[in-house]
Amino acid sequence: MVVAPPLLSAIGLVALRAVDGRELRVLDGVSFELHAGDIAELRGPSGAGKTTLLLALARLLPGASGELALAGASASGIEPAEWRTKVALLPQRTALTGGTVEENLLLPFGLKARTGATPPSVDELRAALDEVGLADVALDRDTARLSVGQAARVALLRVLLTAPRVLLLDEPDASLDDASAAAVGTMTARFAAEGGAVLRVSHLRADAAANVRLHLEGGHLSGGDHVGA
Amino acid sequence: MVITLAPSGAVVIGWPQLALAASFIVVTGALSVAIGLGIVKDLVIASARTYLQLLALGFVLRWVFEVRLWWIVILLLGIMTIMATRIVVKRAPDAPRGLFGSAFFSMAVTGITVTFAVTALIVRVPVWYEPRYVIPIAGMVLGNSMTGIALALERLFSDLDSRSGEILTLTALGADRWEAARGSVRMALRAGLIPTINSMAAAGIVFIPGMMTGQVLAGADPLEATKYQIVVMLMVSAATAIGSILSVMLAYRRAFTADGVFLDKGLRASAS
Repeated sequence: MVVAPPLLSAIGLVALRAVDGRELRVLDGVSFELHAGDIAELRGPSGAGKTTLLLALARLLPGASGELALAGASASGIEPAEWRTKVALLPQRTALTGGTVEENLLLPFGLKARTGATPPSVDELRAALDEVGLADVALDRDTARLSVGQAARVALLRVLLTAPRVLLLDEPDASLDDASAAAVGTMTARFAAEGGAVLRVSHLRADAAANVRLHLEGGHLSGGDHVGA
Repeated sequence: MVITLAPSGAVVIGWPQLALAASFIVVTGALSVAIGLGIVKDLVIASARTYLQLLALGFVLRWVFEVRLWWIVILLLGIMTIMATRIVVKRAPDAPRGLFGSAFFSMAVTGITVTFAVTALIVRVPVWYEPRYVIPIAGMVLGNSMTGIALALERLFSDLDSRSGEILTLTALGADRWEAARGSVRMALRAGLIPTINSMAAAGIVFIPGMMTGQVLAGADPLEATKYQIVVMLMVSAATAIGSILSVMLAYRRAFTADGVFLDKGLRASAS
């Protein structure tokens, strides 16, 4: 039997940060794997480097070293911008750009890295918004007039519509009410069920759907066992 | 009282009158002391510099206009460009180090093309390096594009920094450096060009532009002076546009790594 390679694997990730003139190893040889269908929950004390780890995985951390592979293909053979279209990071601070909800959802399809990709139609966008509990948000609504919870879901939907392989979420429900947080949980669970892998930094709420629990502290990652698998 | 006239008909300012002008500073200084502005020292130094620098300039230009050597003109243009670049780099403190080269390139390209386009095609000087035309025109071109470039670069990096969250999101969505920086580049170019556009719009209504003032005082016919001033204003706007666009397009990449990751202010300082 041929075992499929992990969707995302990291070996020996190291990240240094200069703090008060000293070099601090924020990530000190972090290794782990995510398989299709995984929802991994990353916890750890404040300042432990959880966000740093997500940035390194998205290849958005200057100076990080270590090996990354996507479905067995080494990151060294993949252009960074192309990598980021497949290993998609949603930063903690939701940054929708000015303009309408529709413009924001279509923004990724205007980027060179997605030349040739077919953008979703207006009907598909409408259906996608309805599915995540945003039926009352019109496509031509200006993003400045969205609530925090609505904006968070639009930002997550924008990433999901680009169909990445791996989703990196930095406290996606940090400032959300329970209903919005539940909607985010449903969206990520569906993404994993369809063959994606999710790594999410959690602070407040535990994700009931998570099947992998990771803990980052002192630059080292622990855990990684599949829960209930 | 004897009034001396230059051959052109302009009234000549004598040395005693020049010294008398210093009394303006005494008035300003006295006011500053009375209100407690604490700028007397700066005022005195600045005034002394005005006298020294401009008199030195007068003597140097008189000599340069007399000897009329092409390499002296080129040498002076080179020094002017370096000085202007230094000021530009100093005025954009948030910019990454190593900006000097690209700023110098932008200033030099702008200075050479616009200056010689004006002297050769519009003024049509008989000798290409005629210092009486080339040097003042290059001075206006460099001085104004310097202001535009400095404003544009300062705005470029401050706008990039204020958009760092948005840039991270865009980069994470797969944007390359240009796609992530585009919004800030646009803001920077607007910032660089708006003062020039404003001054073109206000010229003749709000103020008599500096060069025209000079020519009129020197005895020129106001209409002839106007023609020169129009050429100069259009030239300055072209210089500002070319200089700002070149420098911003060369500079924005420096705020990113080769992998397209945005470097914030702290990282830019430690990376170079």
